[in-house]
Amino acid sequence: MAASLAARRSSSDLRRAQARTAYLFVLPTTVLYVTFVLAPVVVTCILAFAHFDPMMGSRWVGFDNFVRFFSDRRSLQILWNTLRFTFFAVTFNVSIGLMLAIALNRAMPGWLLYFFRLSFFLPVIIAAAFVSIVWSYLYGDDLGVINYYLRVIGLPGVRWLTDANQAMTSIIIMDVWKNTGFFMIIFIAALQGVPKTILEAAVMDGTPAWRQFFRITLPYISPVVFFCIVYASIGALQVFESIVILTHGGPGDATRSLSILIVEEGFGSFQIGYAAAISVVMTVLILVITAAQQILSRRWVQQ
Amino acid sequence: MNSMMQTRAAKRWIDWAIIASMVLLAFFMLLPFLWLFSMSFRSVADAYKMPPSFLPPSLDFSNYWAVMTSKVPFLKIYANSVMIALIVTVGQMITCTLAAFAFARLQFRGRNALFFALLVGLMFPAQVTILPIYLGYARIGLINKPIGLALMYLTSSFGVFLMRQFMISQPKALEEAALMDGAGYLKIFWRISLPQLRPALSALGIITFTQTWNYYFQAKVLLGKQDQMTLPLAMDVLRGYMGAGNLAVVMAAMSMSILPVVLLFLIAQKFVIEGITMSGIKN
Repeated sequence: MAASLAARRSSSDLRRAQARTAYLFVLPTTVLYVTFVLAPVVVTCILAFAHFDPMMGSRWVGFDNFVRFFSDRRSLQILWNTLRFTFFAVTFNVSIGLMLAIALNRAMPGWLLYFFRLSFFLPVIIAAAFVSIVWSYLYGDDLGVINYYLRVIGLPGVRWLTDANQAMTSIIIMDVWKNTGFFMIIFIAALQGVPKTILEAAVMDGTPAWRQFFRITLPYISPVVFFCIVYASIGALQVFESIVILTHGGPGDATRSLSILIVEEGFGSFQIGYAAAISVVMTVLILVITAAQQILSRRWVQQ
Repeated sequence: MNSMMQTRAAKRWIDWAIIASMVLLAFFMLLPFLWLFSMSFRSVADAYKMPPSFLPPSLDFSNYWAVMTSKVPFLKIYANSVMIALIVTVGQMITCTLAAFAFARLQFRGRNALFFALLVGLMFPAQVTILPIYLGYARIGLINKPIGLALMYLTSSFGVFLMRQFMISQPKALEEAALMDGAGYLKIFWRISLPQLRPALSALGIITFTQTWNYYFQAKVLLGKQDQMTLPLAMDVLRGYMGAGNLAVVMAAMSMSILPVVLLFLIAQKFVIEGITMSGIKN
């Protein structure tokens, strides 16, 4: 009796010690998280409903900032640019990444694997700001490397960044070059997780390769595919430096994105409330896309 | 029998064709970097000479010297980048590991709620937090201070998540034995968990360093003054100063700017890739 009481006491002491340590350990992260994420998000949501002026004082304007955003042709064009960029960048990044992963998911010598990882992953780890500067020269109209080789093989040069109909495509091409390697790496890991026994059984049954892929491999890796789509969408909706450096948002507004508009409105013309409203629109887009993909994946993904 | 051997031979041929085309593609992925690097060694006079060279034409470092003596305070900017990246990296290695240990190994009230809140934090883009941070920084004088940028990123949801994934996959037996022997949780963390986490810490450290080195949006908003800038911002300024003629000088600055990240990746690509796949796969 006494022994069990002692045991109980020591186990509750242990539990208390455990909780104490735990709170101590999560404290720094929690404080920083509240200061630099949670509180700013709340403040932005409040600012979005105000006209903020540090000199004259702020006042509530209700939904005015949102009304302004959705009734202005220019901001709608910029929203459309961002959505278009997101759609194509996500589609190409994820699908090409998957195709590359399938192509590389076979036995090969170690040095070759190292070479592949290096060359496909290097653009991923270099800042968009740096690679965009390189590409801005490659994309040059008259002095650019790409147009030089196009002319060598007898094709006319392309006005990559100065043609309003072409500029967005050029930015998407660079984005796919830069980011598809990330998804390739994730997919290679996912493909290696597909049970070999099932695939071997399918081979024995004489199942054609495309059918193996759609019936076995794709369902198996579908959670990873959904992860990649969400991840790519969140990144693409925030596109900023590649556009700033390649085209400055031009020609006209042809490539301007929501992020660029936020910086211009918030820190250029100090329309803090309006900029906050645009941030909220972007965040809602991210939440909607994430939620939609969660619901879709619950219906389609086979666990 | 004969047909089976034929299909096997065909299969091997297809394998080789795929690998060969992937080698070609990989080479194309590297071309912009080869161009950048070889351009940095070209004389200013033939910066635009065609066809472009993809291997350094000579080992003339004058463009690198030109970067140092240009109107942009390159060394000061470089030091800013190094300082911010180091502070953030060390900071995250400490804060994320501590929090992850609590989430992976300890029982406490509110654990799941807090972890969920942190994960949700992953979804908020910098665009939605930057306005209030800017206003707050303006009030306490942290605008145009590199340390202000470092402060914002001393912890990250991603880091906590990544470290927790690593810790969960480790066997608990050793810790339980230590607990039986009367060791406290601090001691268990320090003596047992941490030594096992070295590969995970390398992954987190390199990913964080790279990410911080590359920040642009946040830096552009918070650091406007030239001598307080970081490298990604300074490249665009340098490009403006140099005009169209001195492309080679810009590329020399670029080579130096991407060097730390490339070196880190070459040395520890295994850890980087492991860390990234780990965070992506196991949700």
